Amino acid sequence: MSGTDDVKLLAGRTALVTGAGGGVGQGVALALAAAGANVVIAARRAATGEETAALIIAAGGRALSLPVDVSDRGQVIGAVDDSVKHFGGLEIVIHNASSGLAGKPAKLEDITDAMWDEQCAVGLDATYYLAHAALPYLRDHGRGRFLVMSSAQGLHGGAMNPAYPAVKNGMRGLVKALAREWGRHGILVNAVAPAALTDAAAAYFERNPEIRAKIMQGIPLGRLGDSQSDIGAAVVAMCSDHWRYVTGLTIPVDGGNYSAL
Amino acid sequence: MTLLADAASVAGVADGAQAGDAQVTAPPSGGIHRLPLKAGSRAAVQSAVDAAVAAAGAPDLVVLSVMPAISQQLTELADLPEAAWHESVREALRTTLHILQAIGPAMADRGGTVVFLAPSLSLVGCRGLVPLTTALEGQRGLMKSVARQWGHRGITLNWIAVTPGTLSPALAAAPLAIKADAVPVALGRGLELGSEVAPVIVFLASAAGRKITGATLCLDGGEWMLP
Repeated sequence: MSGTDDVKLLAGRTALVTGAGGGVGQGVALALAAAGANVVIAARRAATGEETAALIIAAGGRALSLPVDVSDRGQVIGAVDDSVKHFGGLEIVIHNASSGLAGKPAKLEDITDAMWDEQCAVGLDATYYLAHAALPYLRDHGRGRFLVMSSAQGLHGGAMNPAYPAVKNGMRGLVKALAREWGRHGILVNAVAPAALTDAAAAYFERNPEIRAKIMQGIPLGRLGDSQSDIGAAVVAMCSDHWRYVTGLTIPVDGGNYSAL
Repeated sequence: MTLLADAASVAGVADGAQAGDAQVTAPPSGGIHRLPLKAGSRAAVQSAVDAAVAAAGAPDLVVLSVMPAISQQLTELADLPEAAWHESVREALRTTLHILQAIGPAMADRGGTVVFLAPSLSLVGCRGLVPLTTALEGQRGLMKSVARQWGHRGITLNWIAVTPGTLSPALAAAPLAIKADAVPVALGRGLELGSEVAPVIVFLASAAGRKITGATLCLDGGEWMLP
Protein backbone atom coordinates (compact mmCIF):
# COMPACT_ATOMS: atom_id res chain seq x y z
CA MET A 1 0.00 0.00 0.00
CA SER A 2 2.76 2.45 0.86
CA GLY A 3 5.18 1.28 -1.77
CA THR A 4 7.76 0.33 0.88
CA ASP A 5 8.64 -3.06 2.31
CA ASP A 6 5.70 -4.78 3.94
CA VAL A 7 7.05 -4.40 7.46
CA LYS A 8 4.67 -3.36 10.23
CA LEU A 9 7.02 -0.90 11.92
CA LEU A 10 4.23 0.63 13.98
CA ALA A 11 2.21 -2.44 14.87
CA GLY A 12 0.39 -2.03 18.16
CA ARG A 13 0.75 1.74 18.23
CA THR A 14 -1.94 4.37 17.89
CA ALA A 15 -1.47 7.61 15.98
CA LEU A 16 -3.63 10.74 16.02
CA VAL A 17 -3.27 12.81 12.82
CA THR A 18 -4.91 16.23 12.50
CA GLY A 19 -6.02 17.58 9.14
CA ALA A 20 -6.08 14.06 7.75
CA GLY A 21 -9.13 14.50 5.57
CA GLY A 22 -7.03 15.06 2.48
CA GLY A 23 -3.66 16.07 1.07
CA VAL A 24 -0.52 15.37 3.06
CA GLY A 25 -2.51 14.46 6.18
CA GLN A 26 -4.44 11.75 4.39
CA GLY A 27 -1.28 10.37 2.82
CA VAL A 28 0.44 10.27 6.21
CA ALA A 29 -2.58 8.57 7.81
CA LEU A 30 -2.66 5.92 5.09
CA ALA A 31 1.06 5.27 5.45
CA LEU A 32 0.83 4.96 9.22
CA ALA A 33 -2.03 2.47 8.86
CA ALA A 34 -0.12 0.45 6.29
CA ALA A 35 2.73 0.29 8.80
CA GLY A 36 0.40 -1.32 11.32
CA ALA A 37 -0.69 1.67 13.41
CA ASN A 38 -4.23 2.29 14.57
CA VAL A 39 -5.02 5.71 13.13
CA VAL A 40 -7.30 8.41 14.50
CA ILE A 41 -8.20 10.93 11.83
CA ALA A 42 -9.02 14.35 13.27
CA ALA A 43 -10.51 16.52 10.53
CA ARG A 44 -12.61 19.65 10.76
CA ARG A 45 -15.07 18.27 8.20
CA ALA A 46 -16.47 14.90 9.25
CA ALA A 47 -17.05 13.73 5.66
CA THR A 48 -13.41 14.05 4.65
CA GLY A 49 -12.16 12.35 7.80
CA GLU A 50 -14.58 9.49 7.27
CA GLU A 51 -13.33 9.08 3.72
CA THR A 52 -9.76 8.63 4.98
CA ALA A 53 -10.94 6.18 7.63
CA ALA A 54 -12.88 4.20 5.00
CA LEU A 55 -9.78 3.90 2.82
CA ILE A 56 -7.77 2.57 5.75
CA ILE A 57 -10.42 0.07 6.78
CA ALA A 58 -10.91 -1.11 3.18
CA ALA A 59 -7.19 -1.90 3.08
CA GLY A 60 -7.40 -3.96 6.23
CA GLY A 61 -6.29 -1.31 8.72
CA ARG A 62 -7.90 0.13 11.86
CA ALA A 63 -9.13 3.72 11.92
CA LEU A 64 -11.39 6.08 13.79
CA SER A 65 -12.62 9.37 12.36
CA LEU A 66 -13.34 12.29 14.71
CA PRO A 67 -14.61 15.72 13.65
CA VAL A 68 -12.29 18.17 15.45
CA ASP A 69 -11.64 21.89 15.27
CA VAL A 70 -8.05 21.90 16.53
CA SER A 71 -8.25 25.57 17.50
CA ASP A 72 -10.76 24.56 20.20
CA ARG A 73 -8.98 23.25 23.25
CA GLY A 74 -11.96 21.27 24.50
CA GLN A 75 -12.31 19.46 21.18
CA VAL A 76 -8.61 18.61 21.15
CA ILE A 77 -8.80 17.20 24.68
CA GLY A 78 -11.87 15.22 23.65
CA ALA A 79 -10.13 13.82 20.57
CA VAL A 80 -7.14 12.64 22.60
CA ASP A 81 -9.39 11.07 25.22
CA ASP A 82 -11.55 9.38 22.56
CA SER A 83 -8.43 8.02 20.84
CA VAL A 84 -7.21 6.45 24.05
CA LYS A 85 -10.65 5.05 24.90
CA HIS A 86 -11.08 3.53 21.47
CA PHE A 87 -7.65 2.03 20.93
CA GLY A 88 -6.37 1.68 24.48
CA GLY A 89 -3.46 4.09 24.19
CA LEU A 90 -1.76 6.81 22.17
CA GLU A 91 1.85 6.75 21.07
CA ILE A 92 2.00 9.16 18.13
CA VAL A 93 0.58 12.64 17.57
CA ILE A 94 1.02 14.34 14.22
CA HIS A 95 -0.22 17.92 13.95
CA ASN A 96 -0.71 18.46 10.23
CA ALA A 97 -3.79 20.71 10.11
CA SER A 98 -3.35 24.27 8.96
CA SER A 99 -5.69 27.17 8.40
CA GLY A 100 -7.55 27.49 5.13
CA LEU A 101 -5.96 30.95 4.89
CA ALA A 102 -2.47 29.46 4.83
CA GLY A 103 -2.27 29.12 1.08
CA LYS A 104 -3.75 32.52 0.28
CA PRO A 105 -1.38 35.28 -0.87
CA ALA A 106 -1.36 38.36 1.36
CA LYS A 107 0.76 41.46 1.69
CA LEU A 108 1.78 42.21 5.26
CA GLU A 109 -0.21 45.43 5.33
CA ASP A 110 -3.39 43.59 4.32
CA ILE A 111 -3.27 40.97 7.09
CA THR A 112 -6.04 41.67 9.56
CA ASP A 113 -6.03 40.55 13.18
CA ALA A 114 -8.71 37.99 12.31
CA MET A 115 -6.61 36.50 9.49
CA TRP A 116 -3.53 36.44 11.72
CA ASP A 117 -5.32 34.99 14.71
CA GLU A 118 -6.95 32.21 12.69
CA GLN A 119 -3.63 31.01 11.33
CA CYS A 120 -1.91 31.23 14.71
CA ALA A 121 -4.77 29.42 16.41
CA VAL A 122 -4.73 26.43 14.04
CA GLY A 123 -0.94 26.26 13.81
CA LEU A 124 0.43 27.31 17.19
CA ASP A 125 -2.34 27.14 19.77
CA ALA A 126 -3.39 23.73 18.49
CA THR A 127 0.15 22.44 18.94
CA TYR A 128 0.09 23.61 22.56
CA TYR A 129 -3.33 22.00 23.12
CA LEU A 130 -2.23 18.69 21.57
CA ALA A 131 1.00 18.62 23.55
CA HIS A 132 -0.79 19.29 26.83
CA ALA A 133 -3.48 16.70 26.22
CA ALA A 134 -1.27 13.97 24.84
CA LEU A 135 1.73 14.12 27.19
CA PRO A 136 0.32 11.68 29.80
CA TYR A 137 -0.05 9.02 27.09
CA LEU A 138 3.14 9.67 25.15
CA ARG A 139 5.52 9.53 28.05
CA ASP A 140 7.71 6.95 29.65
CA HIS A 141 7.24 3.95 27.35
CA GLY A 142 9.84 4.94 24.75
CA ARG A 143 7.44 5.00 21.80
CA GLY A 144 6.15 8.56 22.19
CA ARG A 145 6.38 10.66 19.06
CA PHE A 146 5.16 14.25 18.62
CA LEU A 147 5.48 15.57 15.06
CA VAL A 148 4.33 18.80 13.49
CA MET A 149 4.11 19.67 9.83
CA SER A 150 6.25 22.73 9.25
CA SER A 151 7.17 24.11 5.83
CA ALA A 152 10.10 25.24 3.78
CA GLN A 153 8.26 28.56 3.70
CA GLY A 154 9.06 28.84 7.39
CA LEU A 155 12.71 28.04 6.74
CA HIS A 156 13.28 30.49 3.90
CA GLY A 157 10.61 33.05 4.79
CA GLY A 158 8.23 32.63 1.88
CA ALA A 159 6.94 35.92 0.49
CA MET A 160 3.46 34.70 -0.36
CA ASN A 161 1.82 35.31 3.03
CA PRO A 162 3.92 36.45 6.03
CA ALA A 163 1.59 34.82 8.53
CA TYR A 164 2.43 31.38 7.14
CA PRO A 165 6.22 31.50 7.70
CA ALA A 166 5.59 33.08 11.07
CA VAL A 167 3.43 30.15 12.13
CA LYS A 168 5.56 27.46 10.53
CA ASN A 169 8.84 28.76 11.92
CA GLY A 170 7.15 29.29 15.27
CA MET A 171 6.29 25.59 15.21
CA ARG A 172 9.93 24.87 14.43
CA GLY A 173 10.95 26.84 17.51
CA LEU A 174 8.40 25.02 19.62
CA VAL A 175 9.83 21.70 18.47
CA LYS A 176 13.38 22.67 19.44
CA ALA A 177 12.42 23.67 22.95
CA LEU A 178 9.84 20.95 23.58
CA ALA A 179 12.33 18.30 22.50
CA ARG A 180 14.58 19.49 25.34
CA GLU A 181 11.70 19.24 27.83
CA TRP A 182 10.36 15.89 26.72
CA GLY A 183 13.60 14.07 26.08
CA ARG A 184 13.66 12.84 29.65
CA HIS A 185 10.19 11.33 29.12
CA GLY A 186 11.48 9.38 26.13
CA ILE A 187 9.35 11.39 23.69
CA LEU A 188 10.83 12.48 20.38
CA VAL A 189 9.65 15.87 19.08
CA ASN A 190 10.34 16.73 15.44
CA ALA A 191 8.98 18.66 12.49
CA VAL A 192 8.65 17.74 8.84
CA ALA A 193 8.79 20.28 6.01
CA PRO A 194 7.14 18.40 3.15
CA ALA A 195 6.91 19.20 -0.54
CA ALA A 196 4.01 17.16 -1.86
CA LEU A 197 1.92 17.04 -5.00
CA THR A 198 -1.47 17.33 -3.39
CA ASP A 199 -4.69 17.66 -5.40
CA ALA A 200 -4.68 21.37 -4.66
CA ALA A 201 -1.10 21.71 -5.88
CA ALA A 202 -1.87 19.71 -9.01
CA ALA A 203 -4.84 21.95 -9.80
CA TYR A 204 -2.69 25.03 -9.29
CA PHE A 205 0.01 23.72 -11.64
CA GLU A 206 -2.62 22.86 -14.25
CA ARG A 207 -3.51 26.57 -14.28
CA ASN A 208 0.11 27.76 -14.00
CA PRO A 209 2.38 25.35 -15.91
CA GLU A 210 5.26 27.85 -15.99
CA ILE A 211 5.37 27.90 -12.20
CA ARG A 212 5.40 24.12 -12.11
CA ALA A 213 8.41 24.08 -14.42
CA LYS A 214 10.21 26.62 -12.25
CA ILE A 215 9.56 24.68 -9.06
CA MET A 216 10.68 21.38 -10.57
CA GLN A 217 13.97 22.99 -11.58
CA GLY A 218 14.74 23.55 -7.92
CA ILE A 219 14.10 19.98 -6.82
CA PRO A 220 17.06 17.61 -7.36
CA LEU A 221 14.75 14.60 -7.54
CA GLY A 222 12.74 16.36 -10.22
CA ARG A 223 9.27 15.89 -8.77
CA LEU A 224 7.05 16.75 -5.86
CA GLY A 225 6.49 14.00 -3.35
CA ASP A 226 3.58 11.63 -3.10
CA SER A 227 1.71 12.29 0.14
CA GLN A 228 1.63 8.63 1.12
CA SER A 229 4.60 6.88 -0.41
CA ASP A 230 7.06 9.76 0.04
CA ILE A 231 5.91 12.01 2.88
CA GLY A 232 4.03 9.27 4.72
CA ALA A 233 6.91 6.85 4.40
CA ALA A 234 9.30 9.35 5.96
CA VAL A 235 6.88 10.01 8.81
CA VAL A 236 6.54 6.27 9.43
CA ALA A 237 10.31 6.01 9.69
CA MET A 238 10.47 8.96 12.08
CA CYS A 239 7.82 7.38 14.28
CA SER A 240 9.48 3.97 14.30
CA ASP A 241 12.29 2.71 16.50
CA HIS A 242 14.74 3.31 13.64
CA TRP A 243 14.80 7.04 14.40
CA ARG A 244 14.85 6.77 18.17
CA TYR A 245 17.91 9.00 18.57
CA VAL A 246 16.61 11.94 16.51
CA THR A 247 14.78 14.79 18.20
CA GLY A 248 14.40 18.55 18.03
CA LEU A 249 14.84 18.73 14.25
CA THR A 250 12.96 20.05 11.25
CA ILE A 251 13.47 17.55 8.43
CA PRO A 252 12.74 18.69 4.88
CA VAL A 253 11.10 15.80 3.02
CA ASP A 254 11.16 17.57 -0.30
CA GLY A 255 13.31 15.81 -2.84
CA GLY A 256 16.28 18.03 -1.94
CA ASN A 257 14.52 21.34 -2.54
CA TYR A 258 15.66 23.11 0.63
CA SER A 259 19.26 22.28 1.45
CA ALA A 260 20.42 25.34 3.38
CA LEU A 261 20.33 23.66 6.78
CA MET B 1 22.46 51.44 23.35
CA THR B 2 25.14 53.70 21.90
CA LEU B 3 23.60 54.54 18.56
CA LEU B 4 23.58 58.31 18.95
CA ALA B 5 27.07 58.84 17.64
CA ASP B 6 26.22 57.35 14.28
CA ALA B 7 22.54 57.71 13.65
CA ALA B 8 20.74 60.94 13.08
CA SER B 9 17.43 59.47 13.98
CA VAL B 10 16.89 56.09 15.56
CA ALA B 11 13.34 55.28 16.46
CA GLY B 12 11.86 52.46 18.38
CA VAL B 13 13.01 49.94 20.89
CA ALA B 14 9.72 48.18 21.33
CA ASP B 15 9.18 46.69 24.74
CA GLY B 16 6.14 44.50 24.71
CA ALA B 17 6.59 43.76 28.39
CA GLN B 18 5.45 47.15 29.53
CA ALA B 19 1.79 47.92 29.63
CA GLY B 20 0.37 51.39 29.62
CA ASP B 21 -0.22 54.09 27.11
CA ALA B 22 2.29 54.64 24.38
CA GLN B 23 4.88 57.23 25.30
CA VAL B 24 7.83 58.70 23.56
CA THR B 25 10.72 59.77 25.71
CA ALA B 26 13.58 61.55 24.04
CA PRO B 27 16.81 61.47 26.06
CA PRO B 28 18.53 64.82 26.61
CA SER B 29 20.86 64.29 23.70
CA GLY B 30 17.92 63.37 21.43
CA GLY B 31 17.90 60.79 18.68
CA ILE B 32 16.65 57.66 20.41
CA HIS B 33 13.02 57.14 21.19
CA ARG B 34 12.04 54.31 23.48
CA LEU B 35 8.48 53.14 22.98
CA PRO B 36 6.73 51.37 25.84
CA LEU B 37 3.81 49.56 24.27
CA LYS B 38 0.61 47.99 25.38
CA ALA B 39 0.90 44.50 23.99
CA GLY B 40 -1.98 43.34 21.83
CA SER B 41 -3.31 46.81 21.09
CA ARG B 42 -2.97 47.78 17.45
CA ALA B 43 -4.14 51.29 18.26
CA ALA B 44 -1.50 51.78 20.96
CA VAL B 45 1.25 50.55 18.66
CA GLN B 46 0.13 52.85 15.87
CA SER B 47 -0.12 55.75 18.29
CA ALA B 48 3.40 55.11 19.58
CA VAL B 49 4.86 54.91 16.11
CA ASP B 50 2.98 58.02 15.00
CA ALA B 51 4.31 59.88 18.02
CA ALA B 52 7.87 58.79 17.29
CA VAL B 53 7.60 59.82 13.66
CA ALA B 54 6.12 63.16 14.64
CA ALA B 55 8.99 63.75 17.05
CA ALA B 56 11.89 62.46 15.01
CA GLY B 57 10.77 62.02 11.44
CA ALA B 58 10.58 58.80 9.46
CA PRO B 59 12.80 56.17 11.09
CA ASP B 60 15.96 55.04 9.37
CA LEU B 61 16.50 52.25 11.85
CA VAL B 62 14.06 50.37 14.04
CA VAL B 63 15.31 47.90 16.63
CA LEU B 64 12.77 45.42 17.98
CA SER B 65 13.02 43.13 20.97
CA VAL B 66 9.54 41.75 21.67
CA MET B 67 9.77 39.38 24.63
CA PRO B 68 6.94 39.68 27.16
CA ALA B 69 8.21 39.30 30.72
CA ILE B 70 5.90 36.34 31.29
CA SER B 71 7.55 34.47 28.42
CA GLN B 72 10.90 34.72 30.19
CA GLN B 73 9.65 32.86 33.26
CA LEU B 74 10.85 29.28 33.39
CA THR B 75 7.80 27.00 33.13
CA GLU B 76 7.62 23.65 31.40
CA LEU B 77 4.89 23.45 28.79
CA ALA B 78 2.97 20.80 30.71
CA ASP B 79 2.60 23.26 33.60
CA LEU B 80 1.91 26.34 31.50
CA PRO B 81 -1.59 27.80 31.82
CA GLU B 82 -3.35 28.71 28.59
CA ALA B 83 -3.47 32.39 29.51
CA ALA B 84 0.32 32.43 29.85
CA TRP B 85 0.66 30.74 26.46
CA HIS B 86 -1.54 33.35 24.86
CA GLU B 87 0.29 36.25 26.44
CA SER B 88 3.71 34.80 25.70
CA VAL B 89 3.11 33.67 22.14
CA ARG B 90 -0.03 35.12 20.62
CA GLU B 91 0.29 38.61 22.01
CA ALA B 92 4.01 38.79 21.26
CA LEU B 93 3.47 37.76 17.66
CA ARG B 94 0.49 40.04 17.23
CA THR B 95 2.45 42.97 18.68
CA THR B 96 5.25 42.29 16.22
CA LEU B 97 2.77 42.23 13.36
CA HIS B 98 1.28 45.53 14.51
CA ILE B 99 4.69 47.17 14.83
CA LEU B 100 5.75 46.14 11.34
CA GLN B 101 2.42 47.22 9.88
CA ALA B 102 2.78 50.60 11.59
CA ILE B 103 6.38 51.31 10.61
CA GLY B 104 6.09 50.04 7.03
CA PRO B 105 4.31 53.11 5.68
CA ALA B 106 6.59 55.40 7.68
CA MET B 107 9.66 53.84 6.06
CA ALA B 108 8.23 53.37 2.57
CA ASP B 109 9.50 56.64 1.08
CA ARG B 110 13.15 56.48 2.13
CA GLY B 111 13.63 52.84 2.97
CA GLY B 112 15.43 51.86 6.12
CA THR B 113 16.45 48.99 8.33
CA VAL B 114 14.64 46.89 10.90
CA VAL B 115 16.74 44.81 13.28
CA PHE B 116 15.31 42.22 15.63
CA LEU B 117 17.38 41.67 18.78
CA ALA B 118 16.82 38.32 20.48
CA PRO B 119 18.50 35.75 22.72
CA SER B 120 20.32 32.95 20.92
CA LEU B 121 18.41 30.36 22.93
CA SER B 122 15.52 30.59 20.49
CA LEU B 123 17.75 29.18 17.75
CA VAL B 124 18.52 26.02 19.70
CA GLY B 125 15.61 25.68 22.13
CA CYS B 126 15.56 25.86 25.89
CA ARG B 127 13.79 23.73 28.47
CA GLY B 128 11.28 25.83 30.35
CA LEU B 129 11.05 28.46 27.63
CA VAL B 130 8.92 26.80 24.95
CA PRO B 131 6.61 29.83 24.58
CA LEU B 132 9.50 32.28 24.25
CA THR B 133 11.23 30.06 21.68
CA THR B 134 7.99 29.68 19.75
CA ALA B 135 7.31 33.41 19.73
CA LEU B 136 10.84 34.35 18.73
CA GLU B 137 11.12 31.79 15.95
CA GLY B 138 7.71 32.92 14.75
CA GLN B 139 9.03 36.48 14.64
CA ARG B 140 12.11 35.29 12.76
CA GLY B 141 9.97 33.56 10.13
CA LEU B 142 7.92 36.74 9.82
CA MET B 143 11.12 38.80 9.50
CA LYS B 144 12.33 36.76 6.53
CA SER B 145 9.01 36.93 4.74
CA VAL B 146 8.67 40.68 5.19
CA ALA B 147 12.28 41.07 4.04
CA ARG B 148 11.17 39.50 0.75
CA GLN B 149 8.03 41.60 0.51
CA TRP B 150 9.71 44.92 1.37
CA GLY B 151 13.04 44.50 -0.39
CA HIS B 152 11.85 46.43 -3.42
CA ARG B 153 11.06 49.39 -1.14
CA GLY B 154 14.63 49.50 0.14
CA ILE B 155 13.62 48.25 3.60
CA THR B 156 15.86 45.55 5.00
CA LEU B 157 15.10 43.29 7.96
CA ASN B 158 17.61 41.21 9.88
CA TRP B 159 17.89 39.18 13.06
CA ILE B 160 20.63 39.46 15.65
CA ALA B 161 20.97 36.71 18.23
CA VAL B 162 23.00 37.47 21.35
CA THR B 163 23.97 35.55 24.46
CA PRO B 164 20.73 35.34 26.47
CA GLY B 165 22.05 36.97 29.63
CA THR B 166 23.04 40.02 27.58
CA LEU B 167 19.37 40.89 27.11
CA SER B 168 17.83 39.80 30.37
CA PRO B 169 19.03 38.61 33.78
CA ALA B 170 16.06 36.21 33.84
CA LEU B 171 17.43 34.45 30.78
CA ALA B 172 20.92 34.17 32.26
CA ALA B 173 19.40 31.81 34.83
CA ALA B 174 17.75 29.56 32.22
CA PRO B 175 18.99 25.98 31.65
CA LEU B 176 20.67 26.95 28.41
CA ALA B 177 21.73 24.37 25.87
CA ILE B 178 25.39 23.51 26.16
CA LYS B 179 27.75 22.48 23.42
CA ALA B 180 30.15 19.70 24.19
CA ASP B 181 33.19 21.35 22.67
CA ALA B 182 36.68 22.13 23.93
CA VAL B 183 36.04 25.74 22.90
CA PRO B 184 32.33 26.41 23.51
CA VAL B 185 32.63 30.16 22.83
CA ALA B 186 35.31 31.17 20.32
CA LEU B 187 35.91 34.64 21.81
CA GLY B 188 35.57 33.32 25.34
CA ARG B 189 32.50 35.44 26.21
CA GLY B 190 29.34 36.96 24.82
CA LEU B 191 29.34 40.46 23.38
CA GLU B 192 28.53 43.64 25.26
CA LEU B 193 25.34 45.18 23.98
CA GLY B 194 26.28 48.82 23.84
CA SER B 195 29.89 48.76 22.69
CA GLU B 196 29.95 45.58 20.61
CA VAL B 197 26.46 44.73 19.33
CA ALA B 198 25.29 48.28 18.64
CA PRO B 199 28.01 49.00 16.05
CA VAL B 200 26.87 45.99 14.05
CA ILE B 201 23.30 47.30 14.16
CA VAL B 202 24.55 50.67 12.95
CA PHE B 203 26.43 48.95 10.14
CA LEU B 204 23.26 47.14 9.07
CA ALA B 205 21.59 50.55 8.75
CA SER B 206 24.46 51.93 6.66
CA ALA B 207 24.58 52.01 2.87
CA ALA B 208 26.84 48.96 2.81
CA GLY B 209 24.83 47.13 5.46
CA ARG B 210 21.60 47.59 3.60
CA LYS B 211 22.73 45.02 1.10
CA ILE B 212 22.03 42.46 3.84
CA THR B 213 18.47 41.36 4.42
CA GLY B 214 16.67 38.33 5.83
CA ALA B 215 19.87 37.32 7.60
CA THR B 216 20.40 35.85 11.04
CA LEU B 217 23.61 36.99 12.72
CA CYS B 218 24.86 35.28 15.83
CA LEU B 219 26.64 37.93 17.87
CA ASP B 220 27.38 35.57 20.73
CA GLY B 221 31.13 35.50 20.75
CA GLY B 222 31.20 32.60 18.32
CA GLU B 223 29.13 30.18 20.36
CA TRP B 224 26.51 28.65 18.08
CA MET B 225 27.89 29.31 14.60
CA LEU B 226 24.70 28.41 12.72
CA PRO B 227 25.18 25.93 9.87
